[in-house]
Amino acid sequence: MSSNPLPDGMAIAAETPWSRQRRRLTWSRLARGSVPYLLILPVLAVIGAVLGYPLYSLVRLSFQHYGLFELIRHAGQSVGLANYSSVLHDQIFWHTLLRTVVFTIANVGLTMTIGTALALLLVRLSNWVRVVLMSGLVLVWSVPVVVAVQVWYWMTNYQNGVLNYALTKLHLGDFFHHDWYATTFSQLGIVTALIVWGALPFVVVTVYAALAQVPRELVEAAEIDGASSLRVFRDVTVPILKPMLLILTSLSILWDFGVFTQPYLLIGQAHTTPSNYLMGTYLFEEGYIKTDFGRGAAISLLMLLIVAAMSVFYVRKMVKIGDVE
Amino acid sequence: MSARAARGRGRQGAWNALGIAIFVVMVFPVYWMISTAFKPEDQVNSLNPTWLSLRPTIRHFRDAIHQPFFWNDVVNTLIVVGITVVIAMTLAFLSAVAVAKYRFTGRKLFIVIVIGVQMIPGAGLIIPLYVVLARYHQVNVLSGVIIVYVTAVLPFSVWTLRGFIIGIPKDLEEAAMVDGSTRLGAFIRILLPLVAPGLVATSVFAFITSWNEYIFARILLNDQSKQTVTVWLSYFLGSSRHTDWGALMAGSTLTAIPVVVFFLLIQRRIAFNLTAGAVRG
Amino acid sequence: MRTRVFVAAVAVVALGVVAATAGASGQHRQANKLTVWLQVDAQSGWPDVVAAANAQFQQDHPGYTVDVQYQNWSDHLQKFDATLAGGNSPDVIEMGNTEMTKYMAAGAFADITSSKSIFDNSANWLKGLAASGVYGGKLYGVPYYAGSRVVTYRTDVYNKAGIKKLPTSLAQFTTDARMLAAKNASVKGFSPVYIAGTDWYFAMSFVYDFGGSIAKTSKGKWIGNLDSPQSIAGLTAYKSFFTAVSKASKTSDEAHPAPYDVYSQGAAGSIIGPGWYSCCVGDKFKTTTAQFVMPSHTPGQPMPGFLGGSDLAIPTTSANKALAVDWLKDFISTSSEKALQAKGNIPNATNLLGTNVNERAAARSWFVPAAKHWVDVENGNILRNMLATILQGKLTVKQAAQNASDNISLVLNGS
Repeated sequence: MSSNPLPDGMAIAAETPWSRQRRRLTWSRLARGSVPYLLILPVLAVIGAVLGYPLYSLVRLSFQHYGLFELIRHAGQSVGLANYSSVLHDQIFWHTLLRTVVFTIANVGLTMTIGTALALLLVRLSNWVRVVLMSGLVLVWSVPVVVAVQVWYWMTNYQNGVLNYALTKLHLGDFFHHDWYATTFSQLGIVTALIVWGALPFVVVTVYAALAQVPRELVEAAEIDGASSLRVFRDVTVPILKPMLLILTSLSILWDFGVFTQPYLLIGQAHTTPSNYLMGTYLFEEGYIKTDFGRGAAISLLMLLIVAAMSVFYVRKMVKIGDVE
Repeated sequence: MSARAARGRGRQGAWNALGIAIFVVMVFPVYWMISTAFKPEDQVNSLNPTWLSLRPTIRHFRDAIHQPFFWNDVVNTLIVVGITVVIAMTLAFLSAVAVAKYRFTGRKLFIVIVIGVQMIPGAGLIIPLYVVLARYHQVNVLSGVIIVYVTAVLPFSVWTLRGFIIGIPKDLEEAAMVDGSTRLGAFIRILLPLVAPGLVATSVFAFITSWNEYIFARILLNDQSKQTVTVWLSYFLGSSRHTDWGALMAGSTLTAIPVVVFFLLIQRRIAFNLTAGAVRG
Repeated sequence: MRTRVFVAAVAVVALGVVAATAGASGQHRQANKLTVWLQVDAQSGWPDVVAAANAQFQQDHPGYTVDVQYQNWSDHLQKFDATLAGGNSPDVIEMGNTEMTKYMAAGAFADITSSKSIFDNSANWLKGLAASGVYGGKLYGVPYYAGSRVVTYRTDVYNKAGIKKLPTSLAQFTTDARMLAAKNASVKGFSPVYIAGTDWYFAMSFVYDFGGSIAKTSKGKWIGNLDSPQSIAGLTAYKSFFTAVSKASKTSDEAHPAPYDVYSQGAAGSIIGPGWYSCCVGDKFKTTTAQFVMPSHTPGQPMPGFLGGSDLAIPTTSANKALAVDWLKDFISTSSEKALQAKGNIPNATNLLGTNVNERAAARSWFVPAAKHWVDVENGNILRNMLATILQGKLTVKQAAQNASDNISLVLNGS
């Protein structure tokens, strides 16, 4: 009868006496109101169960002196803020922090610009080229980090690396026996190249999938109206892409700031020193290699705070976008 | 052919050429890995690099497969990764729907928690996580690793899926609501195909993250018969006596294959014309 | 279609959960299983020795199994730490001899002093190797095997360069190296003697050869000793030797690249490292490879070699300590040690020593300071940094040695 039928529960409620109506209304509203909570419950449960205690113990550890001796006896000595104070007064901490911030900006910047550009390129390719390039990207993505590091090390090694050979053959200079790991800048440069190379496939695939959500009709309508491709991009594509780009940027910041495996394995434990520490390797060296777990916990929590501070801008933007009306 | 069409063809050719060039540059390290897997021993380590071996051999692949526990570890990895992806995608999708489409108290807090979890440095959690898992006998079993991987992959998945759901243009959604079903049912039935490219991309990420993870698999799994394929690979490197580079590259190539296969199977879902025809009066 | 996918997914998960938790029931430390952590060197080098020991153990203890889990040097300590914290530690663990002191000081291992006489040849254990298993007068680790450093060289290359007699002094070796360089100038980047710049195991030999040392104790405190005149003389000699004979990267370490890989490429006339390097010189040079002892700057003597090696210890958290001792007895028995010796290692007792080049090189040896924080000096790369700085000329030998010495004092005296 009505052209906009109410869901069953409410229709029935409209016809019963007030008291029963009131109970029905609140029950069904509660049932509907609890839907979002039921939806997020599994994720919260998993995160809480798995990370709850480790986080709590991390916090507790940061206030204790907890080395190998204490680890074996499962009991640390409470030392208040001594760990934090020691870390914050350490020159190495501040130098590492600065170095990591610069490193993160470089990595994220390169990853996002090149990644978005490649995704846009993918749209314009003929089908077969697109499949080839996508497959290539997934091939890159499928190589485990530990293997990628070995291959990159090999390509850049001093004795017989392909990179040195190719650069020399291309007459870009004499790169014979060029040591790419001689200076911090060079070391971290190669690490950056490795990380960006490994991160691109993910960014490209995700942005491309987001582009797939841009309805053809809108694009075609705008083009028929005579808009140039740049305007189409700016007015139609970007607004739809924006949430995804913000998400990817913030995730890249999180990951690149705390990155550990690539620098640790590529530079090698034998050459990881305070002069090329990044926060990830600094944490591992201080906490695990030196078995000072209390200090390591303090550094972990400081890192958490710093990253949170760095992402506040992005997170607020992202929470605002897509706010339910 | 009109001038305009010819220009179009020329431009298409230029884009294609650029695409191929980028392909070559990106894939070079992988090419190096695969071609080394086929090189005979003397070319693997030669002073001057061999671009393409004219005497390929499959000896390294044989050596790799004969390395103890190869097949066990492959099966283990498939189990771990398969379950992780299914569980994580389901849970993440549900949460993403809640966060993207419902207004409820605590929504912002949930978002902050999801992002916050990503900010905890993984390296710091190694021993505390081990202690917790050991307490519940989840050490040296695949389920322990699955639990860790699901937790690791969830926040990012929730976050990205939320982005995809928000990105669905309003009119597509409203067009779908016309048949008057309850809100949640409509969301799931209608959203799913619209969000499919996003689900696929996210599941590829979850798959690959789990497939390639090393540190926790190494710490949690001791029996070589229970380990995953990345840990298996590390045995080629860990010995202080003679790294067999050829076998390592062959082993790596083998471990990369399932990921590529997985992707090729589902890549058509990220096709462009998925939403075509969804909005018709 | 969608329901089918969903059902399939649930089925996958269900099957998988069953598969994944299989083995969880066996999680409890079984009373009749012994867990042993050995390094991968054993897995690839002497699996027969391990198998023989296991067979003997199982014969003596029917109903018991031995589960040997192979570890990598790069992360076995982190894994061990995790098990110390959370449980599931092995019953026997192989430790590098430089790693022992820290863990003994922290109380990680069981005291097996009373069992010493059970082990074969324990009265004749190599002093240098056995010392790394003793702390505060008690025995915590038994010596497993050792290795020293020798020169592996290309007999054909040396012959062609006119080197008739193997060098017996550092000076002679340097002269020979110059002849090698001259004769092989056509091979770009050829190293007469390939030495990685930051190979501190080799570089410190020079320090000890000249009478210096890395650190010494005085009134209960450690004092870095690299800035003493003798140590500086040693470091200066190392710098001249390296500059004359090696074209390796000044910042490289002795595993990246592996010297034997450089050798197999034909880019080195000789390499310096453990005796087992001869395994991996490549098919082309297998028949033209031999070894000799690295000469000291004093003619006629070997240069003291770093006595690397492994010990075996029993974690305090083990529930099977008596059984573990029994297994150790089988594993480092005389027959096992002889088998290890045949594979190019130095056995753990003087009465088993022969006269091969490996063992002759071990006649003069040096070892790291027996400090509980020594491992932190190693992992902090203090020596490597010092060597790289010296070779790159960023600081004078004296300055670099001074810095390193101060650093070492700081770290060794840490809490």
